[in-house]
Amino acid sequence: MTQKLLALLVMCLSLSSLWAQDKLTISGYVKDAKNGEALIGAAIAVPAIGGGVVTNDYGFYSLTLPKGNYKLIFSYLGYINQEKEVALLNADLKLNLELAEEAQELDVIEVKAKREDENVRSIEMSVNKIEMRTIQKMPALLGEVDVIRSIQFLPGVTTVGEGATGFNVRGGGVDQNLVLLDEAPVFNSSHLFGFFSVFNPDAVKDVKLVKGGIPAEYGGRLSSILDVRMKEGNSKELDVSGGVGTIFSRLAIEAPLFNEKGSFIVAGRRSYIDVLAKPFLNSDLRDSRFYFYDLSAKANVRIDDKNTFFLSGYFGRDVFGAQFGFDWGNGTGTARWNHVFSNKLFLNLTAFYSNYDYRIQTDLQDPNPQDAFRWNSNIKNYSVKPDFTWYVNAKNKVSFGGQSIYYTFEPGNATAISGGESRNLGLPKKYAIENAVYISNEQKLKRNLTIQYGIRYSLYDYIGPGRAYTWPAQTGERRSPLTTTNYQSGDRIARYGNWEPRFSANWGLGKATSMKFSYNRMAQYLHLLSNTAAASPLDVWTPTTNNIKPQVANQVALGLFQNFNDNTYEASVELYHKTMSNQVDYIQNSDLLLNELVEGDLLIGEGRAFGAEFYVRKAKGKLNGWISYTLSRSERKVLGINNSNWFPNRFDKTHVLNVVAIYDLKPRVSFSANFTYSTGTPATFPNSKFVWQGFALPHNFNDERNNSRIPSYHRLDLAATIKQKKKIFGKGEGEWVFSIYNVYNRRNPFSVFVRQNEDNPSQTEAVRYSVFGSIIPAVTYNFKF
Amino acid sequence: MRNIFFFLLLASVFFSCEDVIELETEAAPGQLAIDAWITDESKPQTVKLSLTQPYFDKNPIVPAKGATVFVVSEDSIPYAFRDLKNNGEYVWQPSFPGEKILTVGKEYLLYVQYDKQEYISISKVNRVPPIDSINYFKEKLPVATPDNPRKEGFQADFYARDFRGEGDCYWIRTYRNDTLFNKPSQITVAYDAGFSAGGRSDGLLFIIPLRASITPELYRENEEVKVELYSIPQEAFFFLQIVRTESTNGGIFATIPSNIPSNIRNRDEKSKIQPLGFFGVSAVSSMKVKIDPKKAIPKPMGR
Repeated sequence: MTQKLLALLVMCLSLSSLWAQDKLTISGYVKDAKNGEALIGAAIAVPAIGGGVVTNDYGFYSLTLPKGNYKLIFSYLGYINQEKEVALLNADLKLNLELAEEAQELDVIEVKAKREDENVRSIEMSVNKIEMRTIQKMPALLGEVDVIRSIQFLPGVTTVGEGATGFNVRGGGVDQNLVLLDEAPVFNSSHLFGFFSVFNPDAVKDVKLVKGGIPAEYGGRLSSILDVRMKEGNSKELDVSGGVGTIFSRLAIEAPLFNEKGSFIVAGRRSYIDVLAKPFLNSDLRDSRFYFYDLSAKANVRIDDKNTFFLSGYFGRDVFGAQFGFDWGNGTGTARWNHVFSNKLFLNLTAFYSNYDYRIQTDLQDPNPQDAFRWNSNIKNYSVKPDFTWYVNAKNKVSFGGQSIYYTFEPGNATAISGGESRNLGLPKKYAIENAVYISNEQKLKRNLTIQYGIRYSLYDYIGPGRAYTWPAQTGERRSPLTTTNYQSGDRIARYGNWEPRFSANWGLGKATSMKFSYNRMAQYLHLLSNTAAASPLDVWTPTTNNIKPQVANQVALGLFQNFNDNTYEASVELYHKTMSNQVDYIQNSDLLLNELVEGDLLIGEGRAFGAEFYVRKAKGKLNGWISYTLSRSERKVLGINNSNWFPNRFDKTHVLNVVAIYDLKPRVSFSANFTYSTGTPATFPNSKFVWQGFALPHNFNDERNNSRIPSYHRLDLAATIKQKKKIFGKGEGEWVFSIYNVYNRRNPFSVFVRQNEDNPSQTEAVRYSVFGSIIPAVTYNFKF
Repeated sequence: MRNIFFFLLLASVFFSCEDVIELETEAAPGQLAIDAWITDESKPQTVKLSLTQPYFDKNPIVPAKGATVFVVSEDSIPYAFRDLKNNGEYVWQPSFPGEKILTVGKEYLLYVQYDKQEYISISKVNRVPPIDSINYFKEKLPVATPDNPRKEGFQADFYARDFRGEGDCYWIRTYRNDTLFNKPSQITVAYDAGFSAGGRSDGLLFIIPLRASITPELYRENEEVKVELYSIPQEAFFFLQIVRTESTNGGIFATIPSNIPSNIRNRDEKSKIQPLGFFGVSAVSSMKVKIDPKKAIPKPMGR
């Protein structure tokens, strides 16, 4: 497969040199004038041909045009447009450009050229980008700016409830999102069980959520790609920023390297409740530890016009306990090489490492040889990933490349000691290799019709050493293995291959209107085993095996995109339908941890989701923000659950309305508000009770799952940001952020469950459980100099 | 492993809250509920029969009267249970001192005839190890919680060793001054000497969390601690786990509620009329001590 691609590449390259006779190429990088950060997705428009390109994830662009004189318009939202006259007459040109941010003090900038309506024109659909500066202005829980909590305001994104880890996209599970931090997957995106995400806002440059029409370069998850890119660091001057919040204290340092040929950023956060609490704790608790922190770092160096290197890393951990210890966290490392082969062929070669692990130990401080329990688990992966972009000509852009991932799984390594006798409860490690190659082309067929077609082939091997079982057919009850086979190191236990076609089309219907269509098939070889309402840090990622088949999703989406008032308002309506196969579910009382025979506790079913997303965004002006409304359904069908009929998923919400508004009153003062409403999540309620050994126990006569719904959820948050007039050290600035979460103090239910009354066991009652049962004000101070 | 989730929940306690609310659910047809747990002790044994009622019904439970109840040994010896007080509690009483129904290693059949239906179930009496000792030490908790209102007192542990051979299951029941700790969250079951089937704890001393489980609340001077160790069939181990889960199923790490399975079937297997409840048999070993501060041991390392 790889050989075929290479052959194709050579052929294409030779073709391009043929075309080069009467066409020339202009290429280069677009950066931020203030700090030298590459601008992702900046538009370069060529009015003469009615088309153009956008910069890639590294700020690179390339345009091949017939010989002639052209006017190019460079634009990026929130930045002042620049026009350049170029003469493409004799030779290819290099044009690196820096765009300057719109100064807020200049209230009205009417001089700028009309911004291209990228959302209407681009081939992308079902994609949401939120600028970090928007995320930073939105009201945040406890004043802590949070990437994942912010994307939950986007259409098509839900969660099982507030405080839950992760998010659900278009009816998919939390494990179906590929959360990338500088291209390395993050397996658990939460601190403190889901209250805060692991991304330090000071280090994040760009956040993009891809829900549909997923391009061929992405694979490995069914439902979405959350592509988080770290800042490269200020390449012009030293920049120190930070803040003191209710939960975290933050500090970030950015500076140029090698005479402004490179730069770096180091950003850290740590919660400090434990530090504040220490003086008030009595001696028993003095040793207790409860904190979480993360450290993000990145460096880049530009060797010459053709070569740039990036190195980035993340390490974060949550630590709880005293004598008893529980800690977990992610670590990632990414090395990248950007190489411009010719001015038409761009390579990004990535190598990454990613790890998630947790540890529980009862004798952390003083080892106890008599009685102890020590347990750890992890998933590690190592990957190499070349991605080529070939700017063939103004009408064709070809992307091709591949990825190879080596996984190791430690599902649980545990030792229990009782009365001085030690037992090993560990499960054997598991190993897998996932390979993929892809090629796709974005082609402008007509002035108003662009299509993107591509194919990805993924090949997965579950390899030894390991033990494989076979099981009787699924009934809904726990199963015992029929046969057991041991495999040696390097043996192949199971292999799966999947063709994943991708297609998107954009049909322009006028100046500011377009219709878009997309289809994608995704294959996923990892499964998160989690039988609790919200995913927990203890959940174990398990590979596809001879029994657990890869998950496969097919999604079609249709969208209408329209901008109004000179692109002041962007509006879209999207319809989607998605089917998902090989969805993992669980028998009652399933035992997912430290269970060698866990496959016997799994049930396999199918899923489906469909919906309509309405989205209006005001991108310019003093008042900006968006309103989104989603009408959707997400269901699954599993042999042995709900009488084998379809039932709604735990995170299914029929109606979801989100409003985000930011109002810049004065250059120094801005206000913001979030409002969210959603239908209550499904729940299973009993309709009768019986008494056994004094316990009043619930029973559902029809044995239904998710037969009712809990009350609806709605909440208003407000924030105000006030910048200080006084400069810090003569040049810096400081700001105060005041926020109020859950303004009207509603006790929103996370769940409603039933129980017997504490004092009178024969009586039973329903209980509403709220994660945040009150209004939560917070103050944060941020500085930058 | 489930205990760890309690720890996980601590973090969310700060802002979270619980309120009792009104909920309406549709009514379901009534079913017979059978509560039959027989031990190898020579004392009256009871089988309780009642009818299900709507979940939020505040009325007292409705006894199922007029049933025929027998326990039959594998040697075909029948033991009749009679509703002496006409309250749905069917009782067998020893007719001579020392008479008991159960013998370790034998299987027993429960037979119930009620409202023209016949229900049956079979259970086996497993071996039970003796309790070696109960000791206790002075303990002070950092905070009192609703689940453990006493901040100071004595933490008691019991010691017993699981038999060699995988798959012995136990139910650990604790009384304080003759009152059973009977909240659903206080159900403690053991698989071998540990928590779960994959725990590889065969033949060990019961692990620390099980030993300590006899102290749901700290004890005070002169209080009596009585521990009963029931041998139970594996089926009962899973049943009691589910009873505990389904009765204490709140919070962000709750599992999806589902019905509690029964091991009692209609004799006509095709019948749509099926009972709820469980039939279990146990051999019992027990021990009791009175808390005497003078006999308390020093606090062990790591506790």
